[in-house]
Amino acid sequence: MDKYIRNIYKGVYTVLVGMRVTIRQFFEPNVTHQYPYEHDFEKKQNVREIPKGYRGQLYNRIEDCIGCKKCELICPVDCIMITGDKLPKGEQLWDSMNVVHFKDGREVIGIIEGDDKKIMSEDSMTITNITTRLGPQEVIDRLESSGDENRTETFTTDEVSRVVTRNPVVFYLDQFDIDMSLCMYCGLCTEVCPTQCLVMKDSLEGIEYSSFDRTDLIFNFDKQEMYEKGEAENTEAAD
Amino acid sequence: MPEIFSEGFFPNMNLQDETNWATDFVRDVIIPRLPEAVAGHFSVELGTVLVMLVCAGIFVAVVPLLPLVLVLAERKVAARFQNRTGPMRVGPWGTLQTLADGIKLIFKEDYIPPQGDKLLFLLAPYIIFACSFAVFAAIPFGQNILVSDFNIGIFYIMAISSVIVMGVIMAGWSSNSKWSLLGSLRSAAQIVSYEIPLGLSILTVVMLVESLGMRDIVNSQSGGIFTWLIFRTPFTFIAFFIFFISSIAEVNRTPFDLPEAESEIVAGFHTEYSGMRFALFFIAEYANMFAVSAIAVTLFLGGYEGVLPGYDFLGGFPGFVIKTLGLVFLMMWLRWTLPRLRVDQLMNLCWKYFIPISFFNILGTGIWGLIFKKDDVWSIGISCAIIYVGLISAYAIAGRNLARKPEPQPS
Repeated sequence: MDKYIRNIYKGVYTVLVGMRVTIRQFFEPNVTHQYPYEHDFEKKQNVREIPKGYRGQLYNRIEDCIGCKKCELICPVDCIMITGDKLPKGEQLWDSMNVVHFKDGREVIGIIEGDDKKIMSEDSMTITNITTRLGPQEVIDRLESSGDENRTETFTTDEVSRVVTRNPVVFYLDQFDIDMSLCMYCGLCTEVCPTQCLVMKDSLEGIEYSSFDRTDLIFNFDKQEMYEKGEAENTEAAD
Repeated sequence: MPEIFSEGFFPNMNLQDETNWATDFVRDVIIPRLPEAVAGHFSVELGTVLVMLVCAGIFVAVVPLLPLVLVLAERKVAARFQNRTGPMRVGPWGTLQTLADGIKLIFKEDYIPPQGDKLLFLLAPYIIFACSFAVFAAIPFGQNILVSDFNIGIFYIMAISSVIVMGVIMAGWSSNSKWSLLGSLRSAAQIVSYEIPLGLSILTVVMLVESLGMRDIVNSQSGGIFTWLIFRTPFTFIAFFIFFISSIAEVNRTPFDLPEAESEIVAGFHTEYSGMRFALFFIAEYANMFAVSAIAVTLFLGGYEGVLPGYDFLGGFPGFVIKTLGLVFLMMWLRWTLPRLRVDQLMNLCWKYFIPISFFNILGTGIWGLIFKKDDVWSIGISCAIIYVGLISAYAIAGRNLARKPEPQPS
């Protein structure tokens, strides 16, 4: 009889202990991340940021691509398709220019006055004929609104991390397609790229590129309008 | 007047009764508003039948909406217990999810196993559906919201809800599937066993009220929270918990969901059902869940009577629904707390614990009835004191146990 009552007591007691645990969970905040609608990873503690060096979607900065086809050769699944041809002798798409990488992530493309090999030893540098500014959107907006028409800026060398010389392109790329539905994300193509223009995005953009049509996963990086513009400038210069 | 509407054809309707609300409604509201040409041919009896049919139609149309809400509530509550959000995409906060599921089920193929017993297979969902909805006819939702006030209301509910097990066995047998048959046999064993403590717990209430009518039971609890039958004697306090746990077993919910144990026998008796027939099982399950909670509220928690006498706090139709949904939430809470019982544990609980305690309750209630007069204020005071002392001492023992054996910390 003693055991019988003890058993009842134990049963009721353990059920109540369990119910206390579950009702505590009931009032905990939820951990669900409404993913496609919610992007701020900082808000939820349980979601990690995408780590640096993550192998996401392939991206080619076609301005820097020299069309060496090393990536096409090394690709184990043949997902990169490049066709291109040399320009006629003596023609080039643009003059050599410099890409200045800043420590805060900005990039400015233009021509450095003076010797670009020794520029880092000087106090400041002046960039003329600025064509492109890359970097955080607010920095670009500030520069755009400041309305510097002359496309010339002076920077102190402390801000600059490195300067890359972009040689004149003599190789005309008709097609630079990457079929991401075939890609196996080995990253070999990014390793062999001599100009390091082929990269894998380690940001949200590198992950979120799903689509309903498989043909949408073939990314075209050939910018025909860039060549056309370059050709136009060249013909203008020739005239 | 046609002969079929004479008293002999509807003996139970008692059309001459002055208190029949439908007759009153027809005589006082409808007949005076009719055009004179029609009024001459329109009898009170025919009107009564028509009004009752319309009311039944409203009832049949509204009650299936209840599972629609309850299924969503179940999913949301389950999600909360697991720190999730539940369905969020269909409609605002996923509120239209069950509607979308229902539409999906309508469009699905209605598959009938070729080797099974076709007639029984087709019939089983309707039996379960009809029986679980027939229960609602005797539940008093409010002072005047009651389909039919039988003098044997609770007995009728017991009888009609026992027929459900027949539908379950028919479904299991006719599916020609091992899982279905096992599930239905388990269900039969479980429901038949748990009918006994359920009935005995109801008996304690009936002994105190001295009536089987649902409205009589509620009216006897009209004096505020301490006249609710759960606090009337210490034995009904125990009987309430036995009733509630047994009714969880009756509606096949976790921890007593052996008949439809997903991890053991797929889905039990409705494994082979698809489309709208499956939806009927599903609707019936959730309607049952609401029905047993409503019965528990009516029998033990004052029904539509409020907490204070004379005030409408937690009383009337809203109060009834709040109390019922509270018990439904308790069921969901238990579901996400306890794992499924083994078959022998299930039978142990019923035959070795619930049934002896229920008999003890009946004995105690009888003695209580001999000692105290009906509605004696002293009896309520003593009963509440006993319940209070019992709970306090149990809490004290629990505290001592906790002090003696601290929970092992994860290393």
